[in-house]
Amino acid sequence: MQKNHVIAGVVIAGGLAMSGCATGGAPVKEAPKIAQSPADQLSGEIKVWSWDVAAKALQRMAPEFEKAHPGVKVEVVDIGYDNAYDKITVGLKSGSGLPDVITLEDTQIPGYAENFPGGLVDLTGVAGKYKADFDPAKWAAASSGKGLVALPWDSAPVGLFYRRDHFKQAGVDPESIVTWDDAVKAGEKIKKITGKRLFVSDLTKPDAFTMLLQQLGQGYFKDGKVAVNTPEAVRALTLLKTLKDKDLLQNEKGWDGRVTATKQGKAAAQPTAAWWSGTLTGEMAELSGKFGVIPLPAFDAAGSRTSANGGSALAITSQTKNQNTAWAFVEWLLANKDSQVSMMKNEALFPAYLPALSDPLFDEPQAYFGEQAINRLFADQVRKIPPVELTGDDTQVQEVLKKAVSSVLLNGEDPKTALDGAASRIATATKRPLAQ
Amino acid sequence: MRRTLVWLVATVGAVISVVPFYWMVVASTHDSGELFASPPPFLPGAELLANIANLEKTIHFSRVMITSVWTAIVYTALSALVSAMCGYGLAKYRFRGRGLLLGVVLATMMIPFQVLLVPLFQMMASVGWVDTYQAIIVPFLANSFGIFLMRQAFIDFPDELLESGRLDGAGDLRIFYRIVLPCVRPQLGALVIFTFMGQWNAFIWPLLMLNSEERFTVPVALNHLIGLSRVDYSGLMLGAFLATLPLALIFLLFQRQFVSGLLGGAVKG
Repeated sequence: MQKNHVIAGVVIAGGLAMSGCATGGAPVKEAPKIAQSPADQLSGEIKVWSWDVAAKALQRMAPEFEKAHPGVKVEVVDIGYDNAYDKITVGLKSGSGLPDVITLEDTQIPGYAENFPGGLVDLTGVAGKYKADFDPAKWAAASSGKGLVALPWDSAPVGLFYRRDHFKQAGVDPESIVTWDDAVKAGEKIKKITGKRLFVSDLTKPDAFTMLLQQLGQGYFKDGKVAVNTPEAVRALTLLKTLKDKDLLQNEKGWDGRVTATKQGKAAAQPTAAWWSGTLTGEMAELSGKFGVIPLPAFDAAGSRTSANGGSALAITSQTKNQNTAWAFVEWLLANKDSQVSMMKNEALFPAYLPALSDPLFDEPQAYFGEQAINRLFADQVRKIPPVELTGDDTQVQEVLKKAVSSVLLNGEDPKTALDGAASRIATATKRPLAQ
Repeated sequence: MRRTLVWLVATVGAVISVVPFYWMVVASTHDSGELFASPPPFLPGAELLANIANLEKTIHFSRVMITSVWTAIVYTALSALVSAMCGYGLAKYRFRGRGLLLGVVLATMMIPFQVLLVPLFQMMASVGWVDTYQAIIVPFLANSFGIFLMRQAFIDFPDELLESGRLDGAGDLRIFYRIVLPCVRPQLGALVIFTFMGQWNAFIWPLLMLNSEERFTVPVALNHLIGLSRVDYSGLMLGAFLATLPLALIFLLFQRQFVSGLLGGAVKG
């Protein structure tokens, strides 16, 4: 779920800007680096901040780590998701009050890495050897600063959830959908026969656009240059406009709107990440057996069939007094097949650690999804998620894109024109050059 | 005719203000998933006990309530005392820089709290108060609004009474507690309601300060029910509903003073 921290962000940022002058807080410019230490030398107590099911996973796993490392104590605090970043921002800004390890969503990592250089420990030295073992898109997100500032935890591979009953009624074989052109044609047919639109989208938000752009292998920036009006970006937005023009998008406001519309069966499909299955089974158990999943339709026949939407990582703060133990815990938890599989099994946290994905757990058929082994489908997509460039300016870009996307989808503006306008506004605001 | 119109407007107004509260009560008796149904449920469901048990299990709601109640009471009592004393001093003692001091107190009201967040956080961290109860109580004891309110309450208090108290040999503290304070009960009642509500609903500062789950206050704990891919709306609604009960109690207890406190200044010249 992508929530906006804009209001809180503005408030806090305003406070930071002003207090910056008063305190003159100059953080260390170079991130502290750490070295691996032998397991038998570990000791002391570490604190970890997390939220939601991630916190539950940590609370369950911590005692196992303690058992394997006598003398070590791991305290996990569930700080709640909704305002977690307020706490983390204030902690980084004031240089105090943070625990040893914090959870960060991928989209937040670049902002913290850029705005607080030295606030998070550079893990390159100890974690570099794992590079090939992790979801490449997530590795890229975690190393968007000068070094690797977080170790990837869970992946959010995107697929197309669909309603078996709606597709059947319309006589559309979901497996026949390979490209977005197929999906548009199938959508028209389903709309005509069942009256259901293709999927739910908030037309005032750039989320769907961002997801499609990543599918095309691009973020908002390319080599640091503004790239929201590249041919790829225009293509992504044009697809959404086509869907809208053919009346295939069910416009619903925000998260609650999407959940409500899905529960009511207003749409026949939903392109979203693997974690959506948790929302489905949790909020609409009565629809058991009605959903299935196919890979995301591609833009070109041989193109990427997935994207990413969400996912987190663990970072070690430089306020820690126990770096070695903190790293040992993070490494044991994330770069470890057993613990990653265990967290998939119990908390449905989809491993970004590739060796874990070969576990038979992923092949288990799921009753809710009509006995389909959806986790195998997602697991096969994880390593194919296109890595994109994330930056600390992304939140600002999203604000500008909101206007561009809604003017195209709601007022029928031309995608290229709208994105050109957005690009020049972003270039001015971020003082970055245009890629095109 | 006119009467009907008044009734109509009043009824519409009442419905508009009661419906959200009614929905809060109804939602707290349903399973979270049921709330997304359409049309949403209008009548109370059967899940109240299950929701209470769940709230207790997920965020230890009883412990959270106890923490909130006692921290709010301690804060309110101390803060009301500080406000009354400062207000009295600024109203009744003549000393150099009194006007300036009052100006400074008022000026602090005009600084947005967001600006103070980081410096205040650093202060708390450097005295080692992060994750302690005193961190959510002490920094706001000198509440500028309260000081100003009490100063206004004391300013019309007749000096002759103070002088006669002094002539009878009463000390400053005795005069304050025995003569002055009982006379401003209405304003004090209003202040108690305001400060209690402020502390009860305080969110961002307790959120930043408290790190251990066993110290959370109600707003901070309820915040935990908003997850990444699921929001426990029935838990949120139930928690919010239960959290209004102590406020209602405080309001009933101090209501008489509160109303006369608000009107107290209305007819004074």
